[in-house]
Amino acid sequence: MPIISNVTCPVCGSLCDDIEILVENNKVVKVKNACGLGESKFLNYNGHRLRKPLIRKNGELVEASIKEAIRRSAEILADAAYPILYGWSNTSCEAIRVGLELAEEIGGVIDNTSTVCHGPSVLSIQDVGYSTCTLGQIRHRADLVIYWGSNPWSAHPRHIERYTAFTQGRFQASIWYRYLAHLSAYRARRRLLRALKLSSVREAPTIEAEAGLPPTLFRKERKMIVVDVRRTRTADIADYFLQVEPNKDYEVLEALRALIRDEEIDMDTVAGVPVETLEELADVMIGCKFGVLFFGVGLTMSMGKLRNIDTAICMVRDLNRYTKFIIMPMRGHFNVTGSNVVSTWQTGYPYAVDFSHGYPRYNPGETSVVDILARGESDASLIVASDPVAHFPKAAVENLVRNPVIVIDPEPTPTTLMADVVFPSSFVGIETEGTAYRMDHVPLPLKKIVEPPSGCLSDMEILQRILAEVRKIKRETAEVA
Amino acid sequence: MVVVLRPKRAFKLPVEAECITPDSFAGKSVDEIGKLKVWEGNRERSLNELFSVEGEIGAKPEEVMVKIFGDVHKVRRIGTQMSAGEIVVHGDVGFHLGEEMVGGKILVDGNAGSWLGSMMKGGVIEVKGDAGDYVGSAYRGSSTRGMSGGTIVIHGDAGNELGYYMRKGIIKVHGNVGQFTGVHMKNGIVVVYGNSEGRSGAEMTGGKIVVCGSVPSVLPTFTVEAVKSRVKINGEKLAGPFYLFKGDIAEEGEGKLYISKASNAHLKSYENLV
Repeated sequence: MPIISNVTCPVCGSLCDDIEILVENNKVVKVKNACGLGESKFLNYNGHRLRKPLIRKNGELVEASIKEAIRRSAEILADAAYPILYGWSNTSCEAIRVGLELAEEIGGVIDNTSTVCHGPSVLSIQDVGYSTCTLGQIRHRADLVIYWGSNPWSAHPRHIERYTAFTQGRFQASIWYRYLAHLSAYRARRRLLRALKLSSVREAPTIEAEAGLPPTLFRKERKMIVVDVRRTRTADIADYFLQVEPNKDYEVLEALRALIRDEEIDMDTVAGVPVETLEELADVMIGCKFGVLFFGVGLTMSMGKLRNIDTAICMVRDLNRYTKFIIMPMRGHFNVTGSNVVSTWQTGYPYAVDFSHGYPRYNPGETSVVDILARGESDASLIVASDPVAHFPKAAVENLVRNPVIVIDPEPTPTTLMADVVFPSSFVGIETEGTAYRMDHVPLPLKKIVEPPSGCLSDMEILQRILAEVRKIKRETAEVA
Repeated sequence: MVVVLRPKRAFKLPVEAECITPDSFAGKSVDEIGKLKVWEGNRERSLNELFSVEGEIGAKPEEVMVKIFGDVHKVRRIGTQMSAGEIVVHGDVGFHLGEEMVGGKILVDGNAGSWLGSMMKGGVIEVKGDAGDYVGSAYRGSSTRGMSGGTIVIHGDAGNELGYYMRKGIIKVHGNVGQFTGVHMKNGIVVVYGNSEGRSGAEMTGGKIVVCGSVPSVLPTFTVEAVKSRVKINGEKLAGPFYLFKGDIAEEGEGKLYISKASNAHLKSYENLV
């Protein structure tokens, strides 16, 4: 029985590359080291999937040959005057590269899912730059870890364990024991309060939150702070949880920046947080040796969007006057960073690239897919490894499905149900090899561990065949003309 | 001398018509203008496929007046880099109207799209209806190239991030504005006669913003300086009283933010700090 080691997990942006997998008869039977998300993908990916290409005929999706589906897609794309190519974050860099070539060939707009998650981060980075490093450096050296508007305990389950607070770095010890003590104290307190509430008629005493920060934050050891609008699982294990009012992150970040610069603030509270608390927090941030600010979609997609990131990056810039501080977005899909990277090295722009004039142009808001769809401007679409029908705003989805939709996806999704042509593809990182970029821009190889079912080609191969067919159609029309 | 353009049909795809400027029309015949190239989606077309062109054309840009009748809200980049003359749009107009404009005048009867007068250097734009986001702004990543001159007057409402990285010039909005008015502003003047959705002057380092209506709050990084009875904007006097804030202190900014006292009773506590 072959055990395949050092497998990279194709689920989230942490891209854990220490997974061990036991394969029997071309089937994954056991997964070691992975988190719940990774393990369930490796074990269950094959249960519910597309196996045959589908084409919509007389309003019904019917099975078709791959050749027929390729021809139909190429006709749709070659004929379109403003097609959109969307998705890309759950496939390999190699497939994205072919996608960009196809976009240029058909004069389309190619956009990846960062348009609805960390697109604002990219815009802010283009405005004010940013200072970052790799996760390995954070693991060994960071003594202050801040998660702002992200919940890695649930969304990137091994992030804390592999790269930040719970990992044994060369210069920073893991502090998991402190979290255990912290957690049991927290649970005991909750049990006590609940018992009080149930046993007495009187109202249970509410424990007033203290204005100052806990003394653990002033230790030399590693520490973790969580800033969010609600108490998440990550907040439960943090040394300190700062709760801000929803949509007020910008004000808090601005106030912190002013305090870091030793300026006075007129107000008493900012977003429900006393200014004294923020002053102490600013002290902790200045006092650390190596700080890191991870931010998630809680910051990029709440009110202010790119301006939140803009000011967060500027805060990190200001902190670098006193200490070493870096900032990093918590990327979601396993290759969303890769889709930005490939798009940048091919076109100069990270997402929302418009090839309609034959050369790349970029202006999110104008050339981003959600906005194009909301305005109803596109006339065909190719969706790769994504499910916009389930996730886009209603008006955008209405305009998407009004025009021909081609989908390349291993799994049936609401988008495949609404599509005109559906290609079943193989799972990248399980049935196909490739390359993906981790959230810190480190490229990692994805392994092929089992054979795909017959008839399921890889995303890259399907795209290459569509591209070849589009070129053939263009040659034919040129000859006729 | 007036050139009249009328769209031949309603557009679904975005139309990029950088050629609709007095500068490129000057000295050409109606036929020559009709042959100018525009983009509709990914197809290159000539102007007369999409618009009917008629009228007389002046020899110099100053003598050209372009009148557009009909709905051109999908038509982008009208008046790009125009230096003289006049464009009048009777209807709604699309994105990037008058981008990098150097001189001349643009008048819009209806609404204008986002990026109105972005990176503008001079001239006048007047919009009778509403405008979108990023009025008089810099482009993505071109932080040093915000609006550097000219005047934009909007009689309706404007969206978010008006005057982003603005360096010079004046923007007046008679209606309400969204968030982040004058974000990263370096100099210049923004006057809002209506209400603001807040965060005005975020990260500004200089310049002047006046809000005559209400604001939900002032950013914590602005310090109150005084209560002024009036504000002078290029000779025009706005009757107050106004709270004068200075900021953004997070950027060591020297920008001035005037907020009407009468419309903002919730800011009364700032008076104790003056």
